[in-house]
Amino acid sequence: MRQAARIGQDMEAMKPLTCEQAANQFFAYLDRALSGEPLQALEAHLETCLNCCDKLRFQRQLDDFIKARLPEARLPADLDAKIRRVLRG
Amino acid sequence: MGKGSGHTAPPIEPEALSRFEELTLPHLKSLYGLAVRLTGDGAAAEDLVQETYLKALQAFPTLRNPERSRSWLFQILSRLVADKQRTGNREILTGDLTELDRFSLYHAIADEDPFPYSDHLHEDFLAHFQDEEVRRALLALPEEYRVPLVLVYAEGLSYRELATTLGCPMGTVMSRLHRGRKILERELWECAKRRGLVRTWKP
Repeated sequence: MRQAARIGQDMEAMKPLTCEQAANQFFAYLDRALSGEPLQALEAHLETCLNCCDKLRFQRQLDDFIKARLPEARLPADLDAKIRRVLRG
Repeated sequence: MGKGSGHTAPPIEPEALSRFEELTLPHLKSLYGLAVRLTGDGAAAEDLVQETYLKALQAFPTLRNPERSRSWLFQILSRLVADKQRTGNREILTGDLTELDRFSLYHAIADEDPFPYSDHLHEDFLAHFQDEEVRRALLALPEEYRVPLVLVYAEGLSYRELATTLGCPMGTVMSRLHRGRKILERELWECAKRRGLVRTWKP
C-alpha cells in the first residue's frame, strides 16, 4: 500500500511539465540552481518543446546582454592604502 | 574620499587589526566591483567600500567563521546599500506584482514584431539599446532586487550563498531574482516604447 502510494508520488513528481511550469524554472536553470528531478523534468520538456527552447535561448541572451553591460569596475590603485589608513584611524 | 571619511575606526589591538586586514583586504577588488555595480559611480563606490570596512572592523569580534569573510563583507555592504536606498527615491515602482510576474519580454517582442523582415527578431530588438539605457534600468531597480541580481551576474553567487549573504530563505532569493529580472524586462520594453521602437498603443 505504502509502496503504491510512493509510486504514485513518483509518477506525480515526473508528470510532464506544462510550458508555463517549464518557464517558471528558466531562471533557476540559468543560474545552475536546478538539480535532480526538477532538472530532469525541465530537460525532458525542452526535448519536446521548440517554443520553450526558443524562449530559454532568449532568456540566456538577455542575461548575457545585461551582464556585458554592468558598469566597469577597475580598482583604484590607491584604494587599498586608503582603506588601511582609515582602519588605523 | 567623500562622506565615508566622517566615520572613524573603532579602537582595536594591532594584532587583531592585522588579522582583520589579512582576512578582508584580499576581497577588496570584489567588494569594490560590487559597489560600483550597485551604485554606478566610482566615488560613491569608494565611500561605500570604506564604510563597509569600518562596519566590518566594528563587527569583527562577531565573525565566527573566517572562511565566510567574503560573503560577510558582501552582507555588510548590501545592508548599507539598503539603508541608503530607504532615504533615496530614484527607484522604479514595481507596480502590480501579478501583472509583473506574467510579463514576458520574449512574448511582447514576438507579439509586437517590431522588425517584420528580421530573421533574428529578439536579437535585433536588444541590439537597439544603448549600454547606458541598460545600466540605468539596472541601477533603478529597487535594492531588494538589484543586490541579488548583481551578485549573481557579477560574482556568480549560488542561491545558497545568496541566502546567507542576504540573510533570507532560498525561496525569497528565488522570488527576488525572478521579480528583478521581470522588472528589467518591463523596463526595457517601456524604454523601447519611449524610443518609438514599438507602438505605445494596443489595437
